[in-house]
Amino acid sequence: MSGADVVVVCEAGRGQTESANARLIAAGAELSGRWGGRLVCLLAGQGIAAKATELCGYADAVYLAEASLYEPYAPLAHLKAVQKLMDDVQPGAVLLGHTYIGMDLAPRLAAKLGVGVAGNCFGLSMEGDAVYFLRPMYRGRVQAKVALETRPYIATFQPGASELAPPDRTGKVTRLDAAPAEGQKVRPLRTIEPELTGIDITKAEIVVSGGRGIGTKDNYALVSDLAEALGGVAACSRPLVDMGWFGTHRQVGQSGNTVKPRLYVACGISGAIEHLHGMKESGIIVAINQDPGAPIFKVAHFGMVGDLNEIMPELIAEVRAARSSSDTK
Amino acid sequence: MKIVTCLKHVPSSAVTPRIAGNRTGIEEEGLSYEVNEPDLYAIEEALYQRSVHGGSVTGITVGPARAKEALHVAYAKGVDQCIHCVDDKHRGTHPARNVRSIGQIVKKLDCDLILAGIQADDDLQGQFGIALAEFLALPAVTAVTEIRANPAQKTLTVVRELGAGFKEELEVDLPCVLTIQFGIRPLRYTPVMAIVRARSRKIESIDALALSPEGERADNLVRVVELSYPKDSGHCELIDGAAPDMARKLVHKLVEAGVL
Repeated sequence: MSGADVVVVCEAGRGQTESANARLIAAGAELSGRWGGRLVCLLAGQGIAAKATELCGYADAVYLAEASLYEPYAPLAHLKAVQKLMDDVQPGAVLLGHTYIGMDLAPRLAAKLGVGVAGNCFGLSMEGDAVYFLRPMYRGRVQAKVALETRPYIATFQPGASELAPPDRTGKVTRLDAAPAEGQKVRPLRTIEPELTGIDITKAEIVVSGGRGIGTKDNYALVSDLAEALGGVAACSRPLVDMGWFGTHRQVGQSGNTVKPRLYVACGISGAIEHLHGMKESGIIVAINQDPGAPIFKVAHFGMVGDLNEIMPELIAEVRAARSSSDTK
Repeated sequence: MKIVTCLKHVPSSAVTPRIAGNRTGIEEEGLSYEVNEPDLYAIEEALYQRSVHGGSVTGITVGPARAKEALHVAYAKGVDQCIHCVDDKHRGTHPARNVRSIGQIVKKLDCDLILAGIQADDDLQGQFGIALAEFLALPAVTAVTEIRANPAQKTLTVVRELGAGFKEELEVDLPCVLTIQFGIRPLRYTPVMAIVRARSRKIESIDALALSPEGERADNLVRVVELSYPKDSGHCELIDGAAPDMARKLVHKLVEAGVL
C-alpha cells in the first residue's frame, strides 16, 4: 500500500557501516507496523548478496543493487538506486543510518524531493497519528523532539553496537539493475583501506581510552599504564588521532572503531556524540573528567569528577594491588 | 583559486544552553558563542589552499549582530574578505534560509571552491553543505580529509572518510562544495590580540530579509516540538573523595561487578 511502506537503506560491504542496520530495522519495523505497510530494505554495494539474504529475515522485501559502480560509495549512483526504489514502492518514510554514507545521501535525497530530514536521531516516538523524531542538539547537551512537515519522512539514525533481534520475517531478494548516473561531476576513484596494524581493539574485553583531557602525548602513559594494569588495550578518541598521536586503529568512535567491551574507561573524554556512537553499549563505563557537565557522565556507570593526573596514578596502583593480591590467593 | 568558506556562530560547546520558556528554543541571553569548530578546520584548509595556489578566501556567516565576532576570528586567521548576512529574525538558526541567503551571496561571487565544516555543533544535522550545493547546482563531497587541487584542469582530487578507518579518493569538478572533517590539518593558534585588531576590519553587511523576503514558501520542514535535557541514564554513580579514596572505591566496585 503506498505511503504506508518504509524503505530502510542498510549498509554492507567494504567501506560501509553495518552497525546502523539493527537500529534502522527496528525503527522501520515500528513505523511500518503502525502504518500497516511493508518494511523494505535496500542494499547497494559489492559482494553483499549474503547480507541481502540475511536481511530477508528482517524485512518484507530486500532490494539489492550489486555492482562495482557502488564501491567505493558513489553518491550519485547510490542516490539513483534509492530514487528508483522509491518510484516503485512510494514509501511514507525512508530511513538511513547516520553514518558517513547516510549523512551524505539523506540530504541529497531530501533536496531532490524538496522534503526535510530529521538527522542524527536516537529514537522515534509515535503519539497517536503523529510521528516524532528524537535527536540531539548543542553537542548533545540538549535533545529535541522534532516533527517533519513533509512526506515522505527522511531520517537518519545513529549507529550502535546492538545485534539484530531474532529473524521474524520472510522477505525475498529482488535485484535492482545498476544504473550509472550520467555526466558525473563527482567520480569515485578508489577505496582506501585502514592500515593493517595487527591491533584490533574491538576484540578486547577491557578498553582504556584517552581524550583531549590527557593533554600531552607523554601523559598518554597514564592511559597505557592503566590499560596494562587492567589487562586491557589502550585506545583514544578522535582528537588524539587528529593530533597525529595514533592511527584510526586505536580510535573509538564514528570515524574509528565501535567497541563493546566488558569495561570501558574514558579518561579526559568529554563524550562527543561521535565518540559515544563507538562505545556507549559497553558493559560498564567508567568516566574520569574534570567537567561535571561532560556528556560522558550521562552514559557512564561510574564517574569520577576531578583531575585525571591525580586520579589515574592512584587507580593504576590500586588495580595493580588488587590483581597481585588476587594472584597470590 | 577564489575560495568561499562558510562559518556559523554557535553557542560555546563547553556550556549547556538554557531551554527557553516556550521549550522550542534556547535562551541566548548570557550565553557565550564561538565559531563552529568544524568551520575553523574549513578556514584553515581554505588558507592552506590559498598558500599553495594563490587567490583569495572570503568568509561568510548568517546570524544576528553578534555573529560578526565569528568573522573577526576569520580575519584574525588571515581570511581576505568577510560578508555578514544579518539575520535578526531567525538569528542564523533557520537551515533553509541560511542556505538560500548564503547561496544567493555566493552566486554573485564567481568562486571556484566553497568550504564549510562537516556539521554545525548546534543543530548537529550536517546537511548545510549538501543543501547549499543542491541550491547552487554544484557537485559536493562531504567529510573531506584531504584536498589536492588541479586548478588548471578545473578539478580536485579529494579524500573523504567512510568510517571505521576506511576512506575514499574521488575526483570532483570545480566549482564545487566540500564539507570539511575535523583534523584535516592542525588548527593554528590565533592570538587574542589578532582578533581584537580584526574588529576594525571592514565587513560587508547584507540584510537577510532583503535577500529572502518572508512570505516566500514556508520552508521550515523540520519543526522542533520540544527541547529537553537528556535524562541521565540513571545509572551513573559518582564516586567522591580524595584521589586515593576514589581509586580504592572504584576498584572495589569493579571487583564486585566481576570485571576485575
